[in-house]
Amino acid sequence: MISNHLLFKLASGEVFGPDQPIALKLLGSERSFQALEGVAMELEDSLYPLLKEVSIGINPYEVFQDAEWALLIGAKPRGPGMERADLLDINGKIFAEQGKALNAVASRNVKVMVVGNPCNTNALICLKNAPDIPAKNFHALTRLDENRAKCQLALKAGVFYDQVSNVTIWGNHSTTQVPDFLNARINGSPVKEVIRDTKWLQEDFTEKVQKRGGVLIKKWGRSSAASTSVSIVDGIRSLVTPTPEGDWFSSGVYTNGNPYGIAEDIVFSMPCRSKGDGDYELAMDVIFDNHLLERITKTEAELLAEKRCVAHLIGEGVAFCDLPEDTMLPGEM
Amino acid sequence: MVGGFPRKEGMERKDVMSKNVSIYKAQASAFEHHAAPDCKVLVVANPANTNALILKEFAPSIPEKNISCLTRLDHNRALGQISERLNVHVNDAKNVIIWGNHSSTQYPDVNHATVTTSSGPKSVRELVANDNWLNTEFITTVQQRGAAIIQARKLSSALSAASSACDHIHDWVLGTPKGTWVSMGVYSDGSYGIQPGLVYSFPVTCEKGEWSIVQGLKIDEISRAKMDATAKELIEEKSLAYSCLN
Repeated sequence: MISNHLLFKLASGEVFGPDQPIALKLLGSERSFQALEGVAMELEDSLYPLLKEVSIGINPYEVFQDAEWALLIGAKPRGPGMERADLLDINGKIFAEQGKALNAVASRNVKVMVVGNPCNTNALICLKNAPDIPAKNFHALTRLDENRAKCQLALKAGVFYDQVSNVTIWGNHSTTQVPDFLNARINGSPVKEVIRDTKWLQEDFTEKVQKRGGVLIKKWGRSSAASTSVSIVDGIRSLVTPTPEGDWFSSGVYTNGNPYGIAEDIVFSMPCRSKGDGDYELAMDVIFDNHLLERITKTEAELLAEKRCVAHLIGEGVAFCDLPEDTMLPGEM
Repeated sequence: MVGGFPRKEGMERKDVMSKNVSIYKAQASAFEHHAAPDCKVLVVANPANTNALILKEFAPSIPEKNISCLTRLDHNRALGQISERLNVHVNDAKNVIIWGNHSSTQYPDVNHATVTTSSGPKSVRELVANDNWLNTEFITTVQQRGAAIIQARKLSSALSAASSACDHIHDWVLGTPKGTWVSMGVYSDGSYGIQPGLVYSFPVTCEKGEWSIVQGLKIDEISRAKMDATAKELIEEKSLAYSCLN
């Protein structure tokens, strides 16, 4: 469902601008092939002037040929009785295969956005299986959480959401994610000076952001496909347009060389800035307090544990799984 | 206006009509009392033409030129089929017309459609050079595209419908490109011998936030018959709608 919204946004020119023609190559399965044909028919009927090509296939080595952007949305949902370790393993295999295919046939500077959950570890597996593609090019989507965090801050402060900036989501796209109110700003001022309700910031704020997906499912029985697709578009646009002065955006990226002391060799959501050339740098003007560091450590530990659990898929030997809790975000299928 | 009562298995046309005209009569009342005086309306829910008509009849303060129904999806589908047949880019084909009711009696008319080529605009009919295809398969493909998409996707064509609604509104508000017209279901003023007082799809150009029916197009015998048939259906629908309300 996410793809349905996303494909139409891509075809309309909303993402890369009105002067950039686009070719869409859709990777499906035997089961979903006919449905994909139906989507292609609808795209054709919409007469988008920038849409030069739509092709469908079930072989990633064909579909990923020369790709400059790879949006990896599909993942296997949790089945009944499935443990988190099983979920990691099953999905990991998909992303290992896709990583290998990207390595073999995609553009050498392909940008990869991983949406399928568990997205951080899936992105790690993908990049480990694509050693010829810069690890920097891989992103795990945490922009939806950032957008939701901005919305909650705006609502609490009684301002329009374009007044909220410098919102970071740290860590894993799971219930250990850390929406950062210490560095966030409203109209340029630190959030803690605008929203005085510290208890709300420390307790309710995080919960509201995390449970938003679950609330949506309760309201209308469907996961947040439309807003997820908006956040994917935001994520891409943040890389192809220069980041406004002083601001940054969140993305789950490879931690090697990070200035925050976070463990290396994992995919962790951090604050990024871009010149609009598809590349990014981590923001240096960030402060930490004990509260923030504690929570960052917890989500870091979870990602390291997930990594150990998929060791067999990233060429690091035998997997060892020690994942006590289920930390999947509510409302994510 | 995208909401309406869908046809369910076993429902007669009369029952669908009855449910929908009640909805649109009630909404007309809300418009009459609360909407901005220059409110523009696009009716998408089926039966779109008749729903729009009921809305107009029961909200007399809304200028009749402000009420429209969506036939842009059929228009876009027709252009899609033509460009596929002629292997040209969709942007190079234009000026097809969808006449009449947004139903199986709609008439996709290519007699005035053209394709932009390196040596200027060329008539679609001449380029296709297959009147039989244009008069039969082309028409049924456009008419049945919705069903084909349901078959492939197991879902109705919500996304392309939304896209065409955006096109309809965009062109209405921001104007059609020079030399190009589009199809909109609008209140008939008697143009092309179509009974006034129906919401009928015509070829229109748009400028400064207003649409005008393209005048003076030659209508051949085949087209005349099809245009009249779809008008006849609209007259029957109007009659059925009123009988449901009384």
